[in-house]
Amino acid sequence: MTSYSGAGAEDVEENVTRPLEDVLNSTEKLKEIYSTSKDGVSMIILEFDFGTDMNAVMNDVRDKVGLIAGFLPDGTEDPMIMKFSSDMVPVMVLSATAEQSSGALYKILDEQVANPLNRISGVGTVSVGGAPQREIQVNVVPAKLEAYNISLEQIAQVIATENVNVPAGDFDIGTQTYMLRLEGEFRESRDLNDIIVGNSRGKAVYLRDVATVVDTLESRVQENYTNGRRSASIVIQKQSGANTVDIANTVKKQLPELQKNLPPDIEIVAVMDSSDYIRVSIDSLLETILLALIIVGLVVLFFLGRWRATIIIMVAIPISLIGSFIYLYLTGNTINIISLSALSITIGLVVDDAIVVLENIATHLERGSRPRQAAIYGTEEVSLSVIASTLTIIAVFLPMTMVGGFAGVMFKQLGWMVSIIITLSLIISLSLTPMMSAFMMRSSEEMKVNRFDRWYRKRILPLLDGLDHWYSKLVNKVSRKRGMAFGMVVLIFIVSLVISILTLKTEFMPASDNNAISMTLELPTGTRMEVARDMGHRIARALEAKYPEIEIISFNAGTASESNVFAAMQSTASHIVSFTMRLTEAKNRGKTIYDISEEIRVDLSKIPELQRYRVQPGGGMGMTAGSNVELDIYGYDLTTTDRVAAELRQLMEGVDGLRDITISREDYRLEYQIQFDREKLSLNGLTMYTAANAVRNRVNGLTMSRYREEGEEYDIRVRFDEQYRQSIEDIENILIYNPMGVGVRVRDLGTVVESSSLPKINRQDRQRIVTVAGTIYGRALSEVVGDVNELLTEITLPEGVQVEMSGSLEDQQEAFQELGFLLVVVTLLVYIVLASQFESLIYPFMIILTIPFAFTGSLLLLAITGQPLGIMGLVGVIMLVGMVVKNGIVLIDYINLNRERGMSIITAVVHGGRSRLRPVLMTSLTTILGMVPLAIGTGQGSEMWKSLGISIIGGMTFSTIITLVLIPAIYTMMAGSGMRRSRRAHRRKLLARR
Amino acid sequence: MKAVMIVMDQAHYDQVVQDLASLNIRGFTSWKEVYGKGSQDGIPHYGTHAWPSINNAILTVVEDDRVPLLLNYLKEEDKRSIHLGLRAFVWNIEEMI
Repeated sequence: MTSYSGAGAEDVEENVTRPLEDVLNSTEKLKEIYSTSKDGVSMIILEFDFGTDMNAVMNDVRDKVGLIAGFLPDGTEDPMIMKFSSDMVPVMVLSATAEQSSGALYKILDEQVANPLNRISGVGTVSVGGAPQREIQVNVVPAKLEAYNISLEQIAQVIATENVNVPAGDFDIGTQTYMLRLEGEFRESRDLNDIIVGNSRGKAVYLRDVATVVDTLESRVQENYTNGRRSASIVIQKQSGANTVDIANTVKKQLPELQKNLPPDIEIVAVMDSSDYIRVSIDSLLETILLALIIVGLVVLFFLGRWRATIIIMVAIPISLIGSFIYLYLTGNTINIISLSALSITIGLVVDDAIVVLENIATHLERGSRPRQAAIYGTEEVSLSVIASTLTIIAVFLPMTMVGGFAGVMFKQLGWMVSIIITLSLIISLSLTPMMSAFMMRSSEEMKVNRFDRWYRKRILPLLDGLDHWYSKLVNKVSRKRGMAFGMVVLIFIVSLVISILTLKTEFMPASDNNAISMTLELPTGTRMEVARDMGHRIARALEAKYPEIEIISFNAGTASESNVFAAMQSTASHIVSFTMRLTEAKNRGKTIYDISEEIRVDLSKIPELQRYRVQPGGGMGMTAGSNVELDIYGYDLTTTDRVAAELRQLMEGVDGLRDITISREDYRLEYQIQFDREKLSLNGLTMYTAANAVRNRVNGLTMSRYREEGEEYDIRVRFDEQYRQSIEDIENILIYNPMGVGVRVRDLGTVVESSSLPKINRQDRQRIVTVAGTIYGRALSEVVGDVNELLTEITLPEGVQVEMSGSLEDQQEAFQELGFLLVVVTLLVYIVLASQFESLIYPFMIILTIPFAFTGSLLLLAITGQPLGIMGLVGVIMLVGMVVKNGIVLIDYINLNRERGMSIITAVVHGGRSRLRPVLMTSLTTILGMVPLAIGTGQGSEMWKSLGISIIGGMTFSTIITLVLIPAIYTMMAGSGMRRSRRAHRRKLLARR
Repeated sequence: MKAVMIVMDQAHYDQVVQDLASLNIRGFTSWKEVYGKGSQDGIPHYGTHAWPSINNAILTVVEDDRVPLLLNYLKEEDKRSIHLGLRAFVWNIEEMI
């Protein structure tokens, strides 16, 4: 941020922003460069990739800025460099309402709330906004000044010189040394009245003679109202890396105590609490995990029919899940949404290894082994294939830890968690599972038959046997008519692919409901704050009456002071009213924040005074805000790009599903300019600088001294009384004193004219830019993008103007690219793992062939349920690669085994299929049903994982069914042709010998 | 003195060693991981992917009167789990040191 006072937006752009941008553009790891050039201020924002080391970057930027700083025009101040990150998003926003105490609100809150809160470890900054600070105003009457021939500057000067404490040195009296001090500071603001500011005809002129001293509150500040009452907002930001939930909890614990010390009319409520969302999401994920656990247990019991076996398998789940916490501890991560979802995803997977081991142990037991021996040898036999199938899963999840960009931040932890959980489950299945079976399982002759066993044998077992029988008949048919079966499967594949491509919609991130809506209303530029405030009150009352879902509604109006860090990040102006609404919890209301936002938009459209409005569900923060479409218009000429933007906006308003279409460039602002005549100025011995300052001192005020009370300092502002600065005539009548002490009126030095100017110029990637942005409601990103693209082909762009689409689409494309690449890598890795396991290239190929079916399956289910494919869905698809091949491995492995045992191809396939049907169904069902709670979750934050759950369920179900038909068909085809080939070769050899 | 060669699925091993002890037979030699298959039935014991079962073998030289007792024990053990497989062969010892 560089300030260049006195320059207009275009000058700032040309002289400050451009040179800085050129230098900064070569910064390492830079992603985008944005800039805003405003009156007197140039602001450049550099955006870096996720996970970039900010400290290194800061040094780099500082060096670069240091290089150029000397070449910037005179009058610019040294550029200020600030670091922003997602940590800057406030953890909590509190709102304090007050009645009688509203005057002293700032001081009370600052001392009694903000300071104690600041002491909480992890809290970065606590800023109080919306409460005016105390200020001593010296309101001068210009006519009296003129009469006494005193200038305003003189008064300020006198106040500054009177209001001082001076240590006058040490002096000795006898044997003692004393310090001499002069205390001239005002004890009370009233004292100001009695200072002498000048002499007139031999009489002293007191300040009270020319001005009124008011001990009051500063004017032109932001005002906050909560539920209709005047309030102040307290914004709490965390230090980077601190834990949001911890901070919020401590703050909440401290609040009642702080409240006790406050005056009884001050009431503090939380308007925004980002920890709420986190906490509720985690609760709902925990619920999901428990549910999945129960479901998996039931599935295992259904297929095994043994209590003891089920318990042995279920024990593997908590141990491997909790074992992964070691990773969290070592890396300093926390139990967050990502790590919990990793747990819920893996519940269905961790039992697989244990199931395979246990199943083989059971076979040994049936053959007559004692439990101990059965456990030892049963585990030994399958250990290799269990390790191999675990490796395929790891081959999928470990590469996930290496993804870069935004997706990388999310999936790094997920990848590690799942890899570790799966590895642990492998270790458990090879150690704890056999150990427990040795102690708990009974050999067949010792088995006691209880009621459950009898019920199971009567009801469930015939069902499963029937299924086995039916499936073996099916496989028999399939392997005999393999060509037809294969054709059918391919046909199904094509049909499902076509259906899913035609109906599938894509998006970036699912929109979730976090109980917050924020809203920005813009009245015509230049509207007074009082008018905007009244409008705010009116709308707040109307909304409160209409929507019972709204719990807290607070808004602010007016310009924020420069000292408020949080407010500096938002755009504030006298004509802008920003609302923050907090709604009741998602499950307690019928309408989502998106529906309510939509209704509010309709309401707002009926208010003609509003020039623009934006309703942002989710509070417009972070990933929860839903998708948007942005059109970036690049072009140097301001009028042309303005026209294009307006045209595009109109077109976009016609697009179904787009809301809140806004143009980033602000309206031209109406203003008055004083145009001094240089000749007249110099004739009167004045310069532009002195004249301009003189006007500024009279209108904006001059602060040269501070009033001190109880350790706090308050500005003493000297300026014209309000009634003398309300019209153009007042400005023209301002008397400016030249160095000779002669007063000249502004009217005699120049003219005051009305004009308009562009308040700011935005640039991106070193080009001027206007962004037309819209929020999406009720439709998927891909659909809207399609419509907007169509629009873009229709309009013809003037020369030198380019239009590009960005926003969520850009993020989506980036993430999809990364994930697409990951998908290829993962598939290759899985193939390699399988090839080394089977020592063949053909069998793995058969298994890999089932993967496309998983994809169409997940796309199909997403299309059916109306969920668009986002990053989460795509990640689900990638995970499927590892899960789906497991079925193929189990089947082909056993068919191979049967062939090695000397069976013919078809017998081997039929027999293998029959005996492996149950394990395949069991592992698939644990995975599928383990996902169901995630997919149908209704809790808060569940939107995020819904598409992941759905895509895994769809892919897994579809591919399991297809695998059970496809693998026998392909196997017989390939093995058959392989057999024929070797027979032919053999015959040729025999013939050659003869 | 007679030599008894016992070839059995490795799951039987612990039990058979226990039987020897209970018959007061002290000396024996055993081989772990021996492969083969039976003449009539039973699954092959090859220690391969297709036939993962593995046999153990025990050779013990005992007094003549122990032989029927031992064979009885073994018969019983074999009957307990016929699918695993256990065979014993007896022959004369001509000389020993």
